Amino acid sequence: MTEPRPAELDISKPKPSFWRNLSFVWLVPVLALAISLGLAWQNFANRGVLVDIAFQSAPGVTAGETTIRYRDVTIGRVEQVTFTPDLTKVLVRARIDKDVAPFLDKEAQFWIVSPKVSTRGISGLSTVLSGVYIEGAWDQEAGVQAYRFEGADGPPLVQPGREGKRITLITDDGSLISEGAPVFFHGVEVGRLEKPRLTVTTDSIVVDAFIEAPHDRRLNSATRFWDTSGFDVSLSGAGLSVNFDSMASLLAGGVEFDSIYEGGEPVSPGHVFQVYPDQPTARKSLVSRSNADAVQIAAEFGESVSGLEPGADVRYGGLKVGEVTAIAAQVEDDETGPRVRLMANLAIEPDRLGLPAGAGAADTLDFFEAAVGEGLRARLAATSMFSAALIVELVEIPDADPAIFDRAAEPLPILPSEKSNLPDFTATAEGVFERINALPVEELIEQAIKMMASIEAVTSSESTRAVPDTVVALLEDTRSLVNDDAMRALPGDIRATVAELRAVVSELKEGGAMTNLASALERADTITADIATASAEFPALVEDLRAVAKKANSLEAEELVAAATRVLDSADKVIGSEAARDLPPALNAALDEIRTTLTELREGGAVENANATMASARDAADAVAKATESLPDLSARLEKLVAQSEALIAAYGERSSFNGETLSALREVRSAARAVSQLARAIERNPNSLLIGR
Amino acid sequence: MENARRTQAVLTARRAGLVGCTSCGKVHAAGEPACRRCGATLRSRDDKSLQRVWAWLFAGMVAYIPANTYPMLLTTNFGKTQENTIVGGAIELLNHGSWGVALIVFSASVLIPIGKFIAIAYLALSARSAVVIRGHGRQHLYEVVEFIGRWSMIDVFVVAILSALVQFDFAATINPGIAAVSFALSVAFTMISAQNFDPRTLWDAYEEDDT
Repeated sequence: MTEPRPAELDISKPKPSFWRNLSFVWLVPVLALAISLGLAWQNFANRGVLVDIAFQSAPGVTAGETTIRYRDVTIGRVEQVTFTPDLTKVLVRARIDKDVAPFLDKEAQFWIVSPKVSTRGISGLSTVLSGVYIEGAWDQEAGVQAYRFEGADGPPLVQPGREGKRITLITDDGSLISEGAPVFFHGVEVGRLEKPRLTVTTDSIVVDAFIEAPHDRRLNSATRFWDTSGFDVSLSGAGLSVNFDSMASLLAGGVEFDSIYEGGEPVSPGHVFQVYPDQPTARKSLVSRSNADAVQIAAEFGESVSGLEPGADVRYGGLKVGEVTAIAAQVEDDETGPRVRLMANLAIEPDRLGLPAGAGAADTLDFFEAAVGEGLRARLAATSMFSAALIVELVEIPDADPAIFDRAAEPLPILPSEKSNLPDFTATAEGVFERINALPVEELIEQAIKMMASIEAVTSSESTRAVPDTVVALLEDTRSLVNDDAMRALPGDIRATVAELRAVVSELKEGGAMTNLASALERADTITADIATASAEFPALVEDLRAVAKKANSLEAEELVAAATRVLDSADKVIGSEAARDLPPALNAALDEIRTTLTELREGGAVENANATMASARDAADAVAKATESLPDLSARLEKLVAQSEALIAAYGERSSFNGETLSALREVRSAARAVSQLARAIERNPNSLLIGR
Repeated sequence: MENARRTQAVLTARRAGLVGCTSCGKVHAAGEPACRRCGATLRSRDDKSLQRVWAWLFAGMVAYIPANTYPMLLTTNFGKTQENTIVGGAIELLNHGSWGVALIVFSASVLIPIGKFIAIAYLALSARSAVVIRGHGRQHLYEVVEFIGRWSMIDVFVVAILSALVQFDFAATINPGIAAVSFALSVAFTMISAQNFDPRTLWDAYEEDDT
């Protein structure tokens, strides 16, 4: 009997809760996962929109590198560069920022920006280093998003979204209008032309133009466009004039427009304008405006109408009142047989004739009927002297042959005509030309050439070249003149003076046995005092000496001085004379003579001997000094003369041989003058130096 | 299994009634609450070790994904910016002919991290069972993983040095990408994961066999 025992309990530890057991470290991978997923999601959400742009070619576009820009800000990147399935185009797949993508509608344009040099400047320089990029342009309004675009060759002429008006221009000559050419208004660029294209049906060139706001308001039905391409050379009575608008329009062409009358109606976008070849033509086109109201009449001219063309003006008193619409020959039978009549159809505008507004054809014809009765006639006239083009003039000729305005004529009323004075005019013009022709222009030129030749011959001839030589010779002559006898007279005089002086000196020598007189006297004077009483013979000697001295005293020094003075006076006179003035160089020689004379004097010994004697003759020397005062005067005069000569010679110019000669001569003259003045000063300071030579 | 059988039965410290201090290594009798030498808490087995290992390992693996998909280096050369992922950079190096460097980069940034993920996962899974590799082999594997972990940082160092040195404005500039940060985080997480592994658990399976 075993007691039943309860089954053993399978005791196990309570299982710890999964959550309680969980380590907080699990937060780390959860966080990492969350962050990673968050980043991935953000990246995916911010991923741009893929768009395809098809280009003809994609130079420099690289997948992963080339950026897409809008207004120079990067908004995307090229992801892939492939071809369209048929290989006709390059397909650039690019991712565009999400924020910008909604604005990319059908109007968006893309083009590849690369360095470009054109008439309008250099663009895209920055891409040289950074590589090309694709620029986009679109308006600022989000539209239906597009994912496929056609790439353009270059930037659009008009940024999408710009205000303005697009119009169409028609021209006959597209050679001077190129894509991107400017549109001017009064010289200011207000728009651009797009690519010109030929119309299919006609030969005209059609080109779209975009006129930017607010200038597009200037477009109206009165607007006329004309070509400003290239330059315009016109010869008129006012002279030659060359016009061109700008370098850009010179190279790339351009058109200008203006309203040529007031009150044009506004035009709608796409309006078609004609481009006229130039501004005058454009302005002339004004008449076509009201051709509808024009009254058609005809005029018959009994002469050649060559030069008259449809479109030619019809003027009345110089004012344009209409134009020629057609010229036709009309065969008419009359009594002499068939006759050809040359008829010009004229479109006359009543309001330009001055008829009240609203005047109809009947009123106009009434006016003509009355006017023809007064003498109104049609007449051919030339537009200008140089042009063969003719216009029709309506003139009033009071004494004209009576005629009537054939109002009933068919097909048009006929205005009677008057023979023009055209041939006369032509004759006059011809006469003018003939006269111009007859002008001895060639002879004139020939003569001129001859004259020039002879001038040249004269200039190059020997005799002309010899002129300076002649002048030199003249100078030589002058110098020889200086050396001639007349001049020598001056030294002669001086020589005479010297001779006189010499005579005086010899007189002195003879008169007082002057040899050693001075020393004797001096010695005698000192000794005398000592031995006066000692010697009995001495007093007598002294007496003798005194007598001698007295005699010497009484020598006629006065006369010497007077003679010297006379000499100097005469010298002065000579020098003051015309001959002397002309020939100062001779003075030099003369002075040399004087100097030698003085040297002779010095060497003669007489002077030394006379020294003591002359001491007592000092009074007389003073007189000489007085006389020499006139010497400065003389030298001043010489100076003046030299200055004059110098001025005269300076006029001959410098450095010629003549001039050199003259200068050296002058230099001599000057040194002579200086010597004279030195002499004068020396004499002034020391008058007796004239006598003693020092 | 064949290998496991041949493994000699081991006497673990737990079975012997001992516990070693993980900080200083002093052995105590089981039941001691704290180390008598250094004061660290004594535990024969860390129950939450594996949890932490797995947690950090997952974090490292998550971080490793952006590290490979995003660019590691942003090289700007004359206005052109080039982005290189880790593998892309290695391939580019290979194309340039420097296969040696490419091999280093590839092994340091791809082979080692992935090998580490696998090794740690294997250790964590096999901790409590005696499978495939003998006890000593697993211990060696653990040591290798712990040692080699830091060398994965070589890539991060390269990026850090390059981006610090190569800053010549327009001519050439190198900037770190998002991948550099992710990669550094990934390496750091796996290192923490390896450190959290308690190698003592590797021997528990043999202990059971012995009884």
